[in-house]
Amino acid sequence: MKVSGGVRSFFCLVLGLALLGGVWASTTAGASAREQSTPGTLKIAAEQEPSCMDWIGSCAGSSWGIWAAGIETLPQALTVTPAGDYIPSSVLAGEPILEIGSPQKITYNINAAAVWSDNTPITSTDFEYTWKQITTGKDIYDKTGYEDIASIDTTDPKVAVVTFSEPFSGWRDLFGGFSFILPSHLLEGKNRAKIMKDGYSFSGGPWKLEGGKSGWKKTKSITLVPNQNYWGDKPLIGTVIFQFITESASEIQAVKSGQVSSAYPQPQIGALDQLSENPELKYEVSFGSVFEAFWLNAKAFPMDSLAVRKSLIYATDRQAIVDEIVKPSVNEGRVLQSFIVPTFPQYYEPAFSIYGTSANLSKVNELMTADGWKKGSDEIWAKGGRKAEFDVQTTAGNEARELTEQLWQSQLAQAGFKVTIKNPSADVLFGINGPKGRFSAALYAQVGTPDPSLCGIFCSANIPTKKNGFVGNNWTRLTSAAIDTPWTAVDSELDRTARTISVKEGQNALAAEAVSIPLYQKPNIFVWNTAQIGGPLQDNPTLGPFFNLNLWYLK
Amino acid sequence: MTRYVGRRILAAIPVLLLASLLVFVLVRQFGADPARTRCQQSRDLKCLARTRVQLGLDRPLPVQYVDFMGDFVQGDWGTSERTDQSVAESIGIALGETAQLAFWGVAFSSVVAISVGVYSANKAYSPGDYFFTGLAFAGIAMPTFWFGLICINYLTFHLKELLNTNEVIFFSIPNATGHGAINGFRELALPVLVLSVQLVAGWSRYQRSSMLDELDSDYIRTARSKGLTRRRVVWKHGLRNSLGALVTVIAIDAGALFGGLIVTERVFSRPGMGTLFLNALGNGDSAVLIPWMIVTGVFIIIFNLFADILYGVLDPRVRVA
Amino acid sequence: MSSFDEHRQIRESGAAIAGSVGSTALIDEATSELVIVRSQWRSVARRFFHHRVATLALLIFILLALAALGASFISPYDPNPPLTASVLSSARESPSAQHLFGTDKLGRDQLSRILVALGQSLQVGLGVALLSTIIGVTVGSLAGFYRGWIDALLMRFTDLFLVLPALAVLLIAAKNPEPSFFGLFDLPPATSTEGMILLLAALGWMPMARIVRGEYLSLREREFVEAARAAGAGGPRIILRHLLPNSVGPIVVFATLEVGLAILTEATLSFLGAGVQIPAISLGNLIADAEDTVGTDLAYLILFPGLVLFLIVLCANFIGDGLRDALDPRARK
Repeated sequence: MKVSGGVRSFFCLVLGLALLGGVWASTTAGASAREQSTPGTLKIAAEQEPSCMDWIGSCAGSSWGIWAAGIETLPQALTVTPAGDYIPSSVLAGEPILEIGSPQKITYNINAAAVWSDNTPITSTDFEYTWKQITTGKDIYDKTGYEDIASIDTTDPKVAVVTFSEPFSGWRDLFGGFSFILPSHLLEGKNRAKIMKDGYSFSGGPWKLEGGKSGWKKTKSITLVPNQNYWGDKPLIGTVIFQFITESASEIQAVKSGQVSSAYPQPQIGALDQLSENPELKYEVSFGSVFEAFWLNAKAFPMDSLAVRKSLIYATDRQAIVDEIVKPSVNEGRVLQSFIVPTFPQYYEPAFSIYGTSANLSKVNELMTADGWKKGSDEIWAKGGRKAEFDVQTTAGNEARELTEQLWQSQLAQAGFKVTIKNPSADVLFGINGPKGRFSAALYAQVGTPDPSLCGIFCSANIPTKKNGFVGNNWTRLTSAAIDTPWTAVDSELDRTARTISVKEGQNALAAEAVSIPLYQKPNIFVWNTAQIGGPLQDNPTLGPFFNLNLWYLK
Repeated sequence: MTRYVGRRILAAIPVLLLASLLVFVLVRQFGADPARTRCQQSRDLKCLARTRVQLGLDRPLPVQYVDFMGDFVQGDWGTSERTDQSVAESIGIALGETAQLAFWGVAFSSVVAISVGVYSANKAYSPGDYFFTGLAFAGIAMPTFWFGLICINYLTFHLKELLNTNEVIFFSIPNATGHGAINGFRELALPVLVLSVQLVAGWSRYQRSSMLDELDSDYIRTARSKGLTRRRVVWKHGLRNSLGALVTVIAIDAGALFGGLIVTERVFSRPGMGTLFLNALGNGDSAVLIPWMIVTGVFIIIFNLFADILYGVLDPRVRVA
Repeated sequence: MSSFDEHRQIRESGAAIAGSVGSTALIDEATSELVIVRSQWRSVARRFFHHRVATLALLIFILLALAALGASFISPYDPNPPLTASVLSSARESPSAQHLFGTDKLGRDQLSRILVALGQSLQVGLGVALLSTIIGVTVGSLAGFYRGWIDALLMRFTDLFLVLPALAVLLIAAKNPEPSFFGLFDLPPATSTEGMILLLAALGWMPMARIVRGEYLSLREREFVEAARAAGAGGPRIILRHLLPNSVGPIVVFATLEVGLAILTEATLSFLGAGVQIPAISLGNLIADAEDTVGTDLAYLILFPGLVLFLIVLCANFIGDGLRDALDPRARK
């Protein structure tokens, strides 16, 4: 059988087209990866890509987006220092003036020099627009606090007077925190979400996205260039590229080899040893406001008994968990004794120190027997024919959490409790089991700040029920006046001193009610190459380590 | 021919529709609630209800499906339920990424597979042949995810230590810092290697078998008996005629790669179709998953069709009907 | 059938071992009658053992299976020990005399854990092969013999699954935490061994059915079938006494390949997080848990589970190859 010439040429044509296609595919991909390696370029590894850049929308809600692009490009009224203090940012001319009373009023004096990247001044109208967008705009992530605002006086363009209808104690996060002041002159009357979600060309901060939307190369990087019209400390670097390196081990390699100059990787065992191998690298371990804890479902047997809950805490060797899980990765760590983290020393109260840090089995025996429990022949506590057995859940595939669970299971077994591990995927845990209360104990992280306060996760008003469509973040499901009173007060108390008293009282109440077992603050590692960059580099647990990127310089 | 193509395409449409319906129902029933994922860390308790209405998740399932498919067939692929990013854009970017890996994987594997197959057929039952047969078996039994991690462990990290270089030689993640052909090679070397293990294993065996069939056939024996040298016979006739069958196999396997690189992309952190699928699945994002299924299905159908046509063209004995 | 369609069959079955899979070796052509004689099986066995690699593979497979069964004898450590201080203190130890495969981050002996995981893999592999063979042979027989709507349905069904990427479909289906058989009764979820077997068999019987169908299509034209029909034999009798025994070759070969394929698929699903969850151990989730040890001294936590996985699948495939040769010596090696 002969293959005809016609067929042969058809064949060659096909191969040729395929080759062309492949070359095209590789060159277009290569082109997009072809970053401009101009002098004056700083490369930083970003562990997560933001889902969208419409910061006040629900599509956002990712820290990395805020750290890498949000705070660099948009103004906030108050900014948070590494020590956790709220101070006025460069947008304000001084401290905002708070009038406690009826009604609560805050006066923001806007810096006369503050302008947007197109030289339009930042005015009180921008405050008003931001407030109106958040309360009435499309797809808003968090309206808390803004809904308590009655009006904003914009008669003086450089003075915004915010009047509240209800007192709101977390006011320092308004026009800041995880939202920003938006440019009304560019967005008024337009579709804010559509304009911002894929990147935007305007700026009110030291940086702007290079080329607007094209500064965010999806799946690859975010590129920032200085905002020439920034009135504050102008950036000292020509271009900053945040590269998405989602894999921790590769991130560490990239910074170790100098491919990137800085990173903020998730801690993992051996990471610090790796980083120490390069003498040019400096790293800072910090403990932020995110903490890990065991959460007990007070509506599930046997957690409905206070004595059992307390016994569980006494049975848990929290120090061992810190030693096995946290110390191997960052060489340090300590047991967390409250749900407010010690990063806020003015509010922190080590309420859980009453339980010690290691296991106290005699206390367990004391409490359980007093509650009517008896150990069966299998060494498991039993009462009224029911054994003290329950399940613990966490996000499947998260190694540190799985190890923590297995440690806890062993510890509790020694104390007479039978724990079964049943891990669903993250979306099932957070989407179904948590809200619907289909768990006895769960291991996951929460944020421990006084602002927003812990009422969201501990007050009885926030228990998800069938009636409210399973909405609410208090998955421990305990209704307790001892907890509700101080924490509800915290949300409305404006007087600093009174507030501090309530916060401390609230922490003690949480320790007494034992609905949750705080373990440790999650560590962060901030690493940078001292041979490549200089400046006041330090981690900021709230705003991320790049909060003062405009003060960094290349060596 | 046109009728045949047309009929195949028409037959494919109900299959794709059924697949999309299946995916939609499964994801809605058992997948995550994208509205919950978005509002998860918000202290605003009304965020969930607002977002559900916004995304249209409060409507009855049939309404959601029909509405979605209606827009889809008219070209409006909408936005991701989790990220609000344009689905068409996301799939486009992911396709480009996967196509790049698939192209180089197929190109490299074809060359290696043909060489190995021809050699094995030529020197059938020799020690060399047995060696390659063993490798092929190893390739088929190889767990992709494990092989990928092993390659990274030794060829990325250990090699760097061994040669005492500053940077790694072969990247284990997409190289975002460099440009040019050399960096492209360093970036694709390991993923292509991992991908080619399975492809080469199957293709080389097929090529060997199909070439042995050719070499055994009457016309070859006739040519040999007429005095043509073995070399001429093997290369000119045996290869060319058996190549046709292999090309169709390559086409079919290539078509399956667009949805079939989930593990490789995961291990090498490549933002292609596989990663897009895993993320969307974790988010319960049916707005991305349905177009994903349809696009990968279309690629499989197109490449299969192409393979059928090619085979018909190359081997007139097969009726393309 | 053209060799292209044959290949398609092989492609669909996921087994990329080339060569024809057809087998008609057991028909006594002279009498046009099917005769399965004892000596035939013996000669099959002889031909199998002549294939040295397959024999070795069978040996290794049996050894591994025995090791998995007798895990507690081989390795004195508890695969899921209570995490006492003494256990924790032996964490992260490289392979040594006390711990042949080293210990993991919590000090648990890897060899014990791998053996337990191997046992689970074997259960899944053999279970899936058995179940999908039963379903596939049944459906394929009916489709191949009776043709008609069963055949049409089978073809449409396999077409549907040809168009969908297999792993993607499995990942979506595995998400179901409370599967049920069309709402009639509950099934175990994919995160349990039984559930995994059901899931993989439910989505993996099609290639076997296609193969059996194909065999029957070619066999039913043979004279001995005509003869049987003329003698008054009904459908089921013809299927069971004539067609099925003659298709044993491809069925057995493919079932063996199915074992390796199922083991690999289960490991992949577990690696991606869709299979068994801790504290249950799978070769896949052992590797997933150790993923961040890449490039570190702990990389042996990835190496050994994967080697065992690779080895068991390799053996299963070689056994399949040996069986293919043994059952059909006329097929090209």
